[in-house]
Amino acid sequence: MKISYNWLSEHVPLTPGPKELAERLTMAGLAVDSIESAGDDHVLEFDLTSNRPDCLSHLGIAREAAIVCGTSRKHREPSFEEIDPAIETVTSVEVVAADLCPRFTARIVRGVKVGPSPKWLVDRLEAIGQRSVNNIADITNYVMFEMGQPTHAFDLNLLHGRRIVVRRPLPGETLNTLDGSTHELSVDQLVICDSDRAVAVAGVMGGEETEINERTTDVLIESAYFNPASIRQTARMLGLDTEASYRFARGADFNAQLRASARVAELIVQLAGGQVLRGAIDVYPSPITRDPVPLRESRVERLTGLKVGIERAADILRALEFEVELRAGEKDLRAVPPSFRIDVSREEDLVEEVARHTGYEKVAVTLPAWSGEGTYLPNERRRRGVRAALTALGFDEAYSFSFVNGERDRLFRPRGRPTATLSNPIDSNQTEMRGSLITGLLEAVQHNFNQGTRDLKLFEVGRVFEAEKEGARPDEREMLALAISGPAVRDDWRGPRVADFYDLKGAIETVLSAVNVSGFTIERASVEYLHPGQSAALSREGEGFARFGRLHPRVASLYKFRQPVFVGEIEFQKLLALEADQIRYSALPRLPASSRDVSMLVPDAVMWGEIEKAVRDLGVSEIVSVQVFDTFKGKAMPDGFRSLAFRVTYRGEGRTLTDEEIAAMHERVRELMTQRFGAELR
Amino acid sequence: MDEKLAELRERFTEDLAAVSSADDLSALRDKYLGRKSGLIAAEKKRVGSLSTDERASFGRDVNELSAFVEAEIARLGERFAADAETRSLERDRIDITLPGTRPPRGHLHPLTLVRQRLEDVFVSMGYAVEDGPEIETSFYNFDALNIPPGHPARDSADTFYVSGDLALRSQTSTVQIHAMQRQKPPLRVIAPGRVFRRDTPDPTHNPMFFQLEGLNVDRNITLADLKGTLQKFVEMMYGPNLRTRFRPSYFPFTEPSAEVDFSCYVCNGSGCRVCKFSGWIELGGSGMVHPNVLETVGIDSEEFSGFAFGLGIDRMAGLMYDIDDIRLLFENDVRFLEQFA
Repeated sequence: MKISYNWLSEHVPLTPGPKELAERLTMAGLAVDSIESAGDDHVLEFDLTSNRPDCLSHLGIAREAAIVCGTSRKHREPSFEEIDPAIETVTSVEVVAADLCPRFTARIVRGVKVGPSPKWLVDRLEAIGQRSVNNIADITNYVMFEMGQPTHAFDLNLLHGRRIVVRRPLPGETLNTLDGSTHELSVDQLVICDSDRAVAVAGVMGGEETEINERTTDVLIESAYFNPASIRQTARMLGLDTEASYRFARGADFNAQLRASARVAELIVQLAGGQVLRGAIDVYPSPITRDPVPLRESRVERLTGLKVGIERAADILRALEFEVELRAGEKDLRAVPPSFRIDVSREEDLVEEVARHTGYEKVAVTLPAWSGEGTYLPNERRRRGVRAALTALGFDEAYSFSFVNGERDRLFRPRGRPTATLSNPIDSNQTEMRGSLITGLLEAVQHNFNQGTRDLKLFEVGRVFEAEKEGARPDEREMLALAISGPAVRDDWRGPRVADFYDLKGAIETVLSAVNVSGFTIERASVEYLHPGQSAALSREGEGFARFGRLHPRVASLYKFRQPVFVGEIEFQKLLALEADQIRYSALPRLPASSRDVSMLVPDAVMWGEIEKAVRDLGVSEIVSVQVFDTFKGKAMPDGFRSLAFRVTYRGEGRTLTDEEIAAMHERVRELMTQRFGAELR
Repeated sequence: MDEKLAELRERFTEDLAAVSSADDLSALRDKYLGRKSGLIAAEKKRVGSLSTDERASFGRDVNELSAFVEAEIARLGERFAADAETRSLERDRIDITLPGTRPPRGHLHPLTLVRQRLEDVFVSMGYAVEDGPEIETSFYNFDALNIPPGHPARDSADTFYVSGDLALRSQTSTVQIHAMQRQKPPLRVIAPGRVFRRDTPDPTHNPMFFQLEGLNVDRNITLADLKGTLQKFVEMMYGPNLRTRFRPSYFPFTEPSAEVDFSCYVCNGSGCRVCKFSGWIELGGSGMVHPNVLETVGIDSEEFSGFAFGLGIDRMAGLMYDIDDIRLLFENDVRFLEQFA
């Protein structure tokens, strides 16, 4: 909101210059964002908090400025002559919807001459960013920015029946507003009507039919108080965010109506001629009252540490135009807030008033007493360990939006259950909460491919959502997802190797070793979005912990990926909660070990995992390790076979094995290969 | 000296000068020092033909010559060995400017870096890190935070709604309520996490961002304690000798409320690009927990008081790393991600 320094100084004697004033008001809670000079004037741009609608005018700022300048504001009552007949004989006001319009006042000025505004008025409005329309419209605008109370001027002779009815719209009722648009009104809104039709959306915008025009001679000035929630809702529904609706929606001063319309009448007489009819209509069936709010001297200190005497507190509140009843002996007071301070209702509100005008800079700097140490989230050390392990492997950490394209996300959800759908998304491509982190990671992969980056290792830690059924409140759980594509080692000048399934598997194994939990098995698994030949599941004691593998070509083609992409998702929350392995030392072997290799042609259907398990299951206790070191398919091999080479290491217990003993054991391994697995010697 | 010995010494010196390889040297050694057929051994045999008088001096001279030859051959042998080593090392010389072999290190996201640092600072000050759901009921997101029905913050223009009573949390202050329901005062809690508001993305806004909420409830907690706590935080996070400033403000869930600024750590308050030439950087919103909030969770607001504050993690990351467009935080462009630790 813009405030003119010169205009402000008509309401309060200002000793500090614009910059100093802005600084003091900011430190009192009325933040000034910027100051611009405009001719011989300065315009202050305020960024006010939503609890202070009373400051949305020069008068409102003047009240606070008076205190921060240690002075008092200038009071001046509008003055003009009134003539007969009395207003009641010319018009009438009927408020049907008193719940939405607690107060409605009207005045009439007859014989005006509509025309351009004088230069000073045009300049004033221009300084605060308002365009001049004509003298009558400018005056209502001017009074709003001066006093904070929006008013509206009707052409009295265009009001059918020359009367006002305030009611809810009839079903199907429409109104053409001043901005040239037509609005369909709904029956829970509020309209100002004449005897036949709606002529204004109450508190929001006037109608075209009764607008002030160059032929207007008689003006009815509306100055009312509307229910804030109703105005907010109406303005939003109609998409009409006006200066008037902004003020009414936040809460206007319920006692400013007559003074504002008097000020409008005074200016009309001065600038457009005419005569004011005697009196004003004031429909105010249930006057609003404010309850006194108590304040104890001790409470100020309890909450702020500031020692402010109750007399000083009373002075501050009086200066803020509260009605104060001081009980000095009791060291407390009762203060009735002024009609414009809708934000004050509890003792703590008064504490803030006293504190901010004592000065927050006077609040001491202390540390609260405390014993006991701080704590991290459960398993945070492990969570950080996994992050560190993954970055050491070359993974970059991604953060994706929690809302995603639901259609895509459904491809990846671990159990295929619904998540939660946004009723008001801002992006039609982000309408559902994610059920899998893979959705976001693949978007990241796509983005990077599009940027020409084709070597990627990404991970993300975050929550996914899962509901029992559509519309139910979803559970939230922490997951970890990985994505790999491109060279295994970026920019390796020794020659490239393209990352494959085993790089991803290795990363997942790294995660497991980082949390130091064993007992996992990795088995081939069928996962809809993964390549059937390159997909696996990680489990432990029958419980699933991860699914990973190469993205299914059909899914990859949805993203137009032209190189293989490998993804995996780990139940991170569950993994972090597992108990870590006990670390136990075992004695170092004293005897030397001997290794023997096996190199055979093995049918394609035989998996390394089966061989490894079978060798261990031979029950030869001297076998201390079985490690694969080569596997490949060559042209010279019979169809359906691959070459597989592994190393078996033997160590005796208590004595060194002889060559013959080792040969005998190794022969059992070779027999196992030929007889059980149909392997052939190369 | 025996004439023949002198002659032999001269011959050796000439032969030695002609040696150009370790093999030549080895042959030279055999020629002179060979046990049986070496020239020196041959000389030694002459001793029998000498008189007793001559024998002593001849013996001394021949031994001296033998030692001389031995030493000279050893000296040259060392030189050849050193040369051979040098040549061998030279052969193994490589281009050490080629990149080291390793998977290039990955990078933690700037939001993780800032969040971990924030957690470390507050844990060291005795705070417990807590968490709450990202999808919340109106009770936690609004009612309990003293945001009444009809309040603009509840507007569907600002808050993402899921269905009926559920919304994406619009501030981590929701965790205040969970924390106070779980545990009676005294309590010191921070809650970092995702929050959601319906802001269209632009260089300074995202519809999702990260906040850190702080809460301290006990007997006799004051605004001065809040000031001291944030002052200490600023010193630990941004460096000593920085000042903080409180400006009165408004939040529904605190009263009194304050915006907190700290003196710019780049220019120390004299004004620069980082602080937009104001000398101050906004830290976040804060205040004394509103009595309505305390009463909602059954805490007597006469007996207990507390302070709360909220920091923007994205904003802090932007500031710390000079990121001028925070949309980059969620684009996951590796050219961006790789710039962090």
